[in-house]
Amino acid sequence: MSTNEEHFHWPPSDPKVVKDELISSTKRGGGFIKKSIWVLSILSILGIVGLLGKLFLESDDQTQWGYIAAVLAFILSTTSGAPMVAVAPLIAKANWARPISRIAHIIGVVGIINIIIMIPLLWVLPPLIVDGARRRSIWFEAPNYSPHFWDTLSLIMLAIVGIALLYSSALPDFATIRDNSNGVKQRIAKFLAHGFVGSTVQWSTLRMRIGMMSTFYFFTLIFAHTLISIDLSLSMVPGWRDAIYPMAHAMGGIQGGIASVIIVAWIVRKYFGYENYITINQFWALGRLMFAASLMWIYFFYSAFIVFWYGKSMSDTAWLDLLIRGPMMYVFILGMLFSFIFPWWWLIWNKVRNSVNGPFYGAIIAIFGVFFERVRLYVPAWSVDPSLIHDKWLKVIPKTLFPDIWDVLVLVGAVSSVFLIVIIVSRVVPFIGIWEIQQFNLLAKPVKYIKAHGVRVAKPD
Amino acid sequence: MQQRDNENRLSQEYTNSVLLNGTLQTPRWWPYLVSVLGFFVIIGFVLFGIQIKYGLGVTGLNRPIYWGLYITTFVFWVGISHAGIMISAILRLTQAEWRRPVTRAAEILTIFSLATALVFPLIHAGRTWRIIYWLIPYDVSRGIWPNIRSPLFMDPIAISTYLTGSTLFLFVALLPDLAVLRDRTTGFRKGFYTILALGWRGNPRQWKMQVVGGILLSALMLPIFVSVHSIVSWDFAVTTAVEGWHSTIFAPYFVIGAVHSGVSAVVTMMALMRWGWGWNEFIRPEHFDALARLLTVVATAWLGFTFLELLFALYGLDAPEIALREMQIFQYPWNMLFLTFLLTGYILPVPMWLFKRIRTNIALMFWSSILVNIGMWLERFLIIVPGLARRTPFVFTWEAYSPSWFEWYILFWSFCWVTLLMLIFSRIFPLVPLFEQKESEVFSDDIKIGRATVPTIFREEEE
Repeated sequence: MSTNEEHFHWPPSDPKVVKDELISSTKRGGGFIKKSIWVLSILSILGIVGLLGKLFLESDDQTQWGYIAAVLAFILSTTSGAPMVAVAPLIAKANWARPISRIAHIIGVVGIINIIIMIPLLWVLPPLIVDGARRRSIWFEAPNYSPHFWDTLSLIMLAIVGIALLYSSALPDFATIRDNSNGVKQRIAKFLAHGFVGSTVQWSTLRMRIGMMSTFYFFTLIFAHTLISIDLSLSMVPGWRDAIYPMAHAMGGIQGGIASVIIVAWIVRKYFGYENYITINQFWALGRLMFAASLMWIYFFYSAFIVFWYGKSMSDTAWLDLLIRGPMMYVFILGMLFSFIFPWWWLIWNKVRNSVNGPFYGAIIAIFGVFFERVRLYVPAWSVDPSLIHDKWLKVIPKTLFPDIWDVLVLVGAVSSVFLIVIIVSRVVPFIGIWEIQQFNLLAKPVKYIKAHGVRVAKPD
Repeated sequence: MQQRDNENRLSQEYTNSVLLNGTLQTPRWWPYLVSVLGFFVIIGFVLFGIQIKYGLGVTGLNRPIYWGLYITTFVFWVGISHAGIMISAILRLTQAEWRRPVTRAAEILTIFSLATALVFPLIHAGRTWRIIYWLIPYDVSRGIWPNIRSPLFMDPIAISTYLTGSTLFLFVALLPDLAVLRDRTTGFRKGFYTILALGWRGNPRQWKMQVVGGILLSALMLPIFVSVHSIVSWDFAVTTAVEGWHSTIFAPYFVIGAVHSGVSAVVTMMALMRWGWGWNEFIRPEHFDALARLLTVVATAWLGFTFLELLFALYGLDAPEIALREMQIFQYPWNMLFLTFLLTGYILPVPMWLFKRIRTNIALMFWSSILVNIGMWLERFLIIVPGLARRTPFVFTWEAYSPSWFEWYILFWSFCWVTLLMLIFSRIFPLVPLFEQKESEVFSDDIKIGRATVPTIFREEEE
């Protein structure tokens, strides 16, 4: 077997070149980045204004808060699932994910936005005891404000674990930056590196820490999706009993997370000139994951749909009337198109998956799909007349609710603040993990075997 | 015979001779075991004949529990059948290298367990031939048609499609090995393998077609794999009349449970193959290690689904549903079954699998995989029967369900039957794919990284 590096885009084999090229991502794009930070900051502030406007003007009408809950679910779904793109390959010892695992971790730290959106929602989310009677919820006999407490706690935990995961995975890179820069950057890196010098004990502790954090992050993610999906939509609708819903919600979150990683990886590759680091292999693998996630979406949806459609009980029919053919029928159609039909039909082609732009366009489509899905699920649920909460099933289907100016501001602000946080973090942490690439180079080598081109991948225990 | 070549890989000649030792020769224990199993199987057929003569009265089935041990066992074997595609197709698509020695056994387990599962609705029907009335529009003049929207109608179609696809999948993967057998046998057997090998010579075009065929079949089989157990679950879930059945989570819950039980059955089989045929160099502790890791993830996901299923049963605060769960979890004898189900399905095996020493201990893996399948059989029993067994108003007769010895024997028969079929298969075809094993030897290597020796594999890039 002989090496054949020219056949592939491949990270440079010289560790010094890798180090210099990747550290430079924290300094690149000075003027443009500054302008972007300003614009995004203003838009983020507008989002805060939107939240305040909503809180002061519409806090007495719970039915008007569906879009805010949908924005929370949308941001949760498109960002918090991202670290799973790094976690799953870590468990499966898949080497391909190393160049994009840092991007996945960076997207995961935007959990703070979810907490900010959750705060005003706490004012309007009904307690467990309404009009002297306990409403249906997963909290059964728990204290009155259990959903408020636990949902917020789950989001706080998710944000903290997300930050801890990024910090743990970036620790060796802080040490590299400390040893290869000067001034303020060096001082910050020195503080963050926390005395990391790369001893055997430190590496083994780090590996263990990343593994544990990843596992904990996964469980926290499922916990948060379960609570948010049930408390902020399902239990607001009388008679909606749907055991698969939390898992379907989490699955949508994984789909959104993969899409976010693809989009950011595409931007980083194109505008930071990292063609040799983030190669077609990463997009191909992510494209396959996206394709699988689209199939999972339709499977979970259909598993619920057929049971309601076939069951034909009053509560089953109410589910269909509220969430499929009722006030959000057109959003449902858009959600179906963007979450399943378009990404599925696009990514089914190997040539599309095996390209850089194909998965990128698929990811943009899927992000819209996640948005439409969250609007379809949360807006009608919040639109239900609160006085009907104790009914056995939903007898009055609410009318279509359109977003007002505050809702639009919150959406714009939330999306902007995601980009803002990602850009700010990228000024401190390189977009591509330096140590991940060094290990990638150690563990995988492009080789030519007889007439075939391939990669020899090491799988350490 | 040279065991290892110059590059310290197992030689191809040695691989052929060891992996064909159950096919070209008869292991000493084989005739005895086949005879014993054959005896039990024949008794099963006799009992089935008696049941046809005297009707379902010989079973414990009675109003209102019409679905009992037979249907539980049907669902159980459909679940086991998920082993093949999980191991073979999904792991092939994800390029998991450790799958190689396990694929064939998983595929045949799929085929024989599906064939066995298909028998159970026939047994359950009592008057077996009447099944045809439910499936085929036989009575045009009276306008009686099968309800094609019913999952009960879709079930046999899905299972037959899965069985056909799995057989094709197995056959495509068998081709290179059939050619090896053709070239090493004489007389009738040579003729038999010559026909089956379809002129396989191992030229580049044939290899390419075989690989492409395998990948395409893997991708095509995946939706069928998921749909089969989903449709089985909808037999129950679309029914509103039985408490505990009408749940949206049933489809993925059944599928993940099936994967849990199927992969565990593969572990059981691998251990038996290693002990029975002495394939210690091919079925190694690292394969058990990888399967146990996979099982840990699958089992934990399955536990999550179990929790959600229970949570949402109580969520509606419907008195009958709560009473059912109370009966299922707290009332004797259901509580004992429920406890055993939880202990054997998750609580005992999964913590064991967290330790590498246990994951690589073949005896412990064998017993833990048996535990899982006890738990998974009980899971199906606890889903199907209690909902029918709980006393409700307006039912004029009540019989507590206690399976008769007939039913227990037919359950035992099904295990003997599947084992017998697998043993017969092992005398005709190799249980470990020869070409996969040889490819693995070529693609695998050990390299030095620093002071550590690390196993590596070669992955071909797409052009």
